[in-house]
Amino acid sequence: MKLRILLADDHEIVRRGLRALLEKHEGWEVCGEAADGREAVEKTLQLKPDVVILDIGMPLLNGLDTTRQLLQHDPHFKIIVLTITDSDQVIREALDAGARGFVLKSDAARDLVSAVEALQNKRMFFTPRVNDLVLAGFLEKGHSLSKNETPKLPTLTAREREITQLLAEGNSSKEVACLLNLSTKTVETHRSNIMRKLSFHSIRDLVVYAIKNNLIQIEIPPVKTTAGPTGPTAA
Amino acid sequence: MTIRILLVDDHPIVRQGLKTLLEGRDGWEVIGEASDGAEALDKAKELSPDVMVLDVTMPRMNGLEACRVLRKRAPQLEVLFVTQHDSPQMMREALEAGARGYVVKSNAARDLLAAVEAVSQHRVFTALNGRDAAGTR
Repeated sequence: MKLRILLADDHEIVRRGLRALLEKHEGWEVCGEAADGREAVEKTLQLKPDVVILDIGMPLLNGLDTTRQLLQHDPHFKIIVLTITDSDQVIREALDAGARGFVLKSDAARDLVSAVEALQNKRMFFTPRVNDLVLAGFLEKGHSLSKNETPKLPTLTAREREITQLLAEGNSSKEVACLLNLSTKTVETHRSNIMRKLSFHSIRDLVVYAIKNNLIQIEIPPVKTTAGPTGPTAA
Repeated sequence: MTIRILLVDDHPIVRQGLKTLLEGRDGWEVIGEASDGAEALDKAKELSPDVMVLDVTMPRMNGLEACRVLRKRAPQLEVLFVTQHDSPQMMREALEAGARGYVVKSNAARDLLAAVEAVSQHRVFTALNGRDAAGTR
């Protein structure tokens, strides 16, 4: 019986590349694709794949919250997250969310097959940097945040995180209400609660917060006329 | 029509995705790949492609800088940017650097084939997100 994989990334060209890579492996098939986190939740629940591969930086619902939602439905889903960065914060959030694999997008051609094989064999797969962090005790209970670390989202509910992402992506309260099948009034109430909890006064504060906490990701353009290294890239 | 293409992007998975799309067209051939601007210049010299599909943001040498160098070294080679940057300013900078085409990565599956066809015939092709392909001239 074939191993069935669901792929979620907002770039069709990336999905094509991932599909080509995975389907070279005998006995594996990509049973579905999704272009955002909400579609990924819907298709995963519908198709029940053996492994789910989620980009972290997806619109509407990011990969981490998608992971949380899926595992709430069924804690047995095996999820690999793809990310453009392996910063401490992203690693910790991915582990906290319940991902069982963590692969850098830039290394996907090398690591993704190994990651799927690991999950297939009921093991986990992480980059060496994740292993280093775990060994260093970063995940021990009671670990306190370092001075420069931004506190994350524990004060927000899952619904509030979802709404924060959608607002930070530029949607109005009415548009968010439409996307989530809620009334505009309900969204406005959530919005007020979010702003109050985080002590924010403007949507700009919310956007900065969403970027800092990986709810949304941005691309940094290269500096004009320079030929040197140019900041993070996204696929 | 035969078109020989050099693919340049620092993410192998993106190159793979672009390659599967391009090689679906009869006569189009991806003759080489590179993962940064400096390697792109070397491969362009070695392989003499008709079209270079080039990313903007890459390590070592970014795509804009590579494009400027290519314009001087290989004026017959047409450059098509395929980039994450959905920005009129970046598009203008790419065209000023000498590119003939500009496509946003999120729309590559929709725009890439038409763009490669246009630039291979020395016509301009630009398309940003949320706007129709700006056609060719």
